Amino acid sequence: MTDASPERDAAVDGGHEVAHGDDHGHDFPGTGSIKRWFVTTNHKDVGVLYVVTSLFFLVLGGVLAWLMRVQLLAPRALGEGILSPVAYNQAVSAHGLLMVFWFLSPFAFGFANYVVPLQLGAKDLAFPRLNALSYWLYLFSGILFGVSFFQGGTFSGGWTMYAPLSVPTFTPDVGASTAVLALVLFVASVTVSSVNFLTTMHRMRAEGLTLRNLPLFSWTILLTAWMMLFAFAALLAALLVLSSDRLLGTTYFAMESPAGALLWTHLFWFFGHPEVYIVFFPALGVMAEVFQTFTGRRIVGRKWFILAMVLVAIQSFAVWMHHMFLTSINLQVKTLFMITTIGISLPFDLMVFALIYTMLKGKIRFTTPFLFVFGALLLFIIGGITGVFLGAVVLDYEFRGTYWVVAHFHYVMVGGVTALVGGLYYWFPKMTGRMYDEFLGKLHFAVYFVGFNLLYFPLFVAWETPRRVFDYAPELAPWHQLATVGGFVLGLSFLIMFYNLFKSAFAGDPAPDNPWEYATTAEWAVSSPPPLENFDGTPTYRNGRLEFLDIGEVTPSEGRASGPTGAAVSDGGVTASATATVSSALSTAEATEVEGPSHASIWPFVLSAGAFLVLLGLSPLQDAAFPEGMVGAAYATTTVAGGVVTLGSLVAMGLEPFHGPVFEEGEAWPFAGIDNGKVGMWIFLASDVVLFGGFIGAYVFTRVAFGWTGWEPIPPDPIPGLVNTYILLTSSFTVVLALVAAEKRHKWGVVTSLGATFVLGIGFLVNKGLEWQHLFHEGLWLSTNVRASTFFLTTGLHAAHVIAGLVVALYLTARAWRGAYLEDSRSVEYFGLYWHFVDIVWLFLFPLFYIL
Amino acid sequence: MDDRNRPLDTICPGFSETIIITNVNYLIWVVLSMVTELVLTAAFPLQSGLVPRGTRAFVFERIFEVFLLLGTLVGVVVVGYMLYNAYKYRSGSGKGHVDEGNRLVLGELPSGSGGGRKLFTSFFMSMVIVVSLVSWTYLTLLYVEEGPADDESLDVEVEGYQFGWRFTYPNGHTTDGVLRVPADRPVQLTITTADVFHNFGVTELRVKSDAIPGQETETWFTADEPGTYTAQCYELCGAGHSYMSAEVIVMPPDEYEAWYANATAENATADNATANESSADASVAAQSNLRPAVVP
Repeated sequence: MTDASPERDAAVDGGHEVAHGDDHGHDFPGTGSIKRWFVTTNHKDVGVLYVVTSLFFLVLGGVLAWLMRVQLLAPRALGEGILSPVAYNQAVSAHGLLMVFWFLSPFAFGFANYVVPLQLGAKDLAFPRLNALSYWLYLFSGILFGVSFFQGGTFSGGWTMYAPLSVPTFTPDVGASTAVLALVLFVASVTVSSVNFLTTMHRMRAEGLTLRNLPLFSWTILLTAWMMLFAFAALLAALLVLSSDRLLGTTYFAMESPAGALLWTHLFWFFGHPEVYIVFFPALGVMAEVFQTFTGRRIVGRKWFILAMVLVAIQSFAVWMHHMFLTSINLQVKTLFMITTIGISLPFDLMVFALIYTMLKGKIRFTTPFLFVFGALLLFIIGGITGVFLGAVVLDYEFRGTYWVVAHFHYVMVGGVTALVGGLYYWFPKMTGRMYDEFLGKLHFAVYFVGFNLLYFPLFVAWETPRRVFDYAPELAPWHQLATVGGFVLGLSFLIMFYNLFKSAFAGDPAPDNPWEYATTAEWAVSSPPPLENFDGTPTYRNGRLEFLDIGEVTPSEGRASGPTGAAVSDGGVTASATATVSSALSTAEATEVEGPSHASIWPFVLSAGAFLVLLGLSPLQDAAFPEGMVGAAYATTTVAGGVVTLGSLVAMGLEPFHGPVFEEGEAWPFAGIDNGKVGMWIFLASDVVLFGGFIGAYVFTRVAFGWTGWEPIPPDPIPGLVNTYILLTSSFTVVLALVAAEKRHKWGVVTSLGATFVLGIGFLVNKGLEWQHLFHEGLWLSTNVRASTFFLTTGLHAAHVIAGLVVALYLTARAWRGAYLEDSRSVEYFGLYWHFVDIVWLFLFPLFYIL
Repeated sequence: MDDRNRPLDTICPGFSETIIITNVNYLIWVVLSMVTELVLTAAFPLQSGLVPRGTRAFVFERIFEVFLLLGTLVGVVVVGYMLYNAYKYRSGSGKGHVDEGNRLVLGELPSGSGGGRKLFTSFFMSMVIVVSLVSWTYLTLLYVEEGPADDESLDVEVEGYQFGWRFTYPNGHTTDGVLRVPADRPVQLTITTADVFHNFGVTELRVKSDAIPGQETETWFTADEPGTYTAQCYELCGAGHSYMSAEVIVMPPDEYEAWYANATAENATADNATANESSADASVAAQSNLRPAVVP
């Protein structure tokens, strides 16, 4: 069942550049052109960018790990070793943050970007420009993190960022603030990406491809994206509060705050535990795919495997306090979280057994991908068994803060990396059209596996070493030396991989469509690499297996407002002539406010650069003030310039002729019949609910610790707040009027209603400004006390939402003035959803902060 | 073991595998019955004494040993089974085969697959092992959480700071960097911090607790061997984290009583003086950023 005939090979080889380069009438430069990589929005290009960038951060995080391992060669007295104490803490912190955030997830999502649309039968993700935006935000967040090293030193409080060490009282370096802001930017990237993936995966599956039948890799990505959506929103809440403490002077996490340190642990671990599965699930998906391919067998107990993952994904939000067994939580809570923790470990037993049993009676081919994935399963078993130790609370008490934890989570997480490296070898032929060198691949695995165990296993033996310490008991030194040797072996093994893959990408044997006998998922049914729009025809699974419908077989859908659907679907992928595509797309272009078809856009890049400048400019703020003198002025200028670039590129993006991939609606449970844009907006708002939930939770937690009744609302007078409640409610009403007018094609009705909304929003802000001005005059400031901090920051976050809404409202009003939205009122509708949400949030904030 | 119901020719290559599975299951059952026995008797701890009681170190070592033993056993069995089968069914061995009639072909929707019963047998057994082990340790958790009786224990307040530890005795006597306790008497610690999040732990005595700003946590230990132990900080707390340690001196009870009788709230002992000096250095060093933070 392979298409590995020589003839085919030759065709693929010859067609390589064409297939992935200029085709189809899009303004796409070829892959050899630098420009291509800055303007691309294609999911396969973005996937490649993710993989390459994440490997760069792997190297960066790895070098930091080497520095630590060298420092740990012997117990170091003061002044010994290559790192100063603070530098060591920075290395520890940056290593953790880079590996967890900038390497692991983006590496996995590189594959997700490349493979998932192919497995779904989609031409691209639902929002290709947002996909490019995710990538550029990710890259610039990484660059921002890099900059933090040069601003007096980066963050040095550990990747868990425990408070109050994380506030400027204890870590005053500007670089520490920059690192936190880099994380904020990274979370923005993740949120955009989650919304995009969830919309795509729920809405854009080929006919017959129900969720149940989704390939396991896509299943893991679907669940990962759901977990990311909510977990990263909680992290965003935590990071925004921390940024505010660092930059604006609020006192949530200050030493004097009634429960600031504990609040951080709750917020962080509510994110932190799902994060473990967020980084591990894609690895699990790779394991499942590769096991099936290289044993030639179906996975045992497929539906139970999926069910187990769903259970884990849900339950992952109910185990966070097992990271806090030694804090002041009581026995009942400990018991509860011990039970949920045991509960979440059990589904993994089932998954491991399912993978093992899949091998039985199969024909196992020990290719490089299988070796890595097989090794990953071995490592995961060891990681899992040592994890059960931590589930026993009495043992956890002693393991807390020691190398047992370090060894355990490296076995699990780097075990996951092992599987993902297997995935890199597995999909390399698909992504490049070339085969890697099998011997070098196997050599890489051998060196990697030895290095891995040499590095991490001794850490179990030396478990009594406290974490993040380089002065340890001398009798443990041999184990640490062994680990250091292993660290270098592991790190250097990647040189073999880089050499192999780099050389093979240009000079490897041409890869056929399906180089792996018995591979079953759809990405292997198209050429290597696939054409720009993935399929020669419309993929369907209506007869239980993948088929491609020709042009004639597709019934063009009747012209919905979303227009392009029918016409562009009928363009038969790469085989259709460029002119046909251009004209068909042109004829439907107006509906999505575009002038011509193009999947190229520079604005995601520019927008991300703008956001980078804004955050870089803000980094030296303390107590909401820039430093004195030239440096401060330079930073302030950077902020303003960044703001202009950001806003300008947003507008440019809005006006740019661009339309997303068009598709014949296939399987779309549970969002059938709802527009992609609307689904995306709902999903985004769901994450925003968690964001505000985090803020409100932080407020309630702090207030309870302070004493609920002794806490008086900050505004002595609730009247301005009440007036604002009415203003916002009215503005919700005017948005509804705008939508009604648009549907009735009443241009001036749209303009007037949107204008009224804008004016009401301004009224809200002016009223709020006056109220705050009054409070400032009474001597209340963000840093006055924790009551003031929670009031100003939470209502300030809401005000920021209002301002963002008003920017959009202004844009919509201007467009409506020129006659937009009469044919297609969806933009007004989506804005309405957002605006109503902002109003509803206020309905919670008003009683919480003014009345109770 | 679905294959038992299938014609011999289809399972012929996997004939010995059936035996292996049975062997694995047998091994796991042995482990399982051990554990079950353990747990059943543990449910009546007064009669069996299987819930370890004693010092924190004793409790920890007992549980750790059992976990290590079972963990190693399960690990060896599972990994061994995996490696054995991977070797056995390697391509070219002629043992395994791809079922051309039943396998998925490229692009086919993955309909149901078999193996459910085997899967659930293994899953059920692993569940029993994990649940029973952790339930057993829960009984010791209750013992540990209960702590020593108030009247027999020595209460000491512990305060962490960047980068050292202060100890306050019931009579108000405060020491810095040295904790003196009598052997064979439970010590009840109330732990907090003057600045950032720390974690107070004495690894040899198996005692540890978070030191959280604005909060107090409690823990206890009993040391049965006089000697000098090291307390360390187990939560990253700044430049001097690596050197944030204190001495824990376990004294014979009579020597301790003699020392305690002389210790009052006012008199600063020799311990105090040296420790204070070093901590002063520490705070100075901590101000200047990249300089070594602590003189131990």
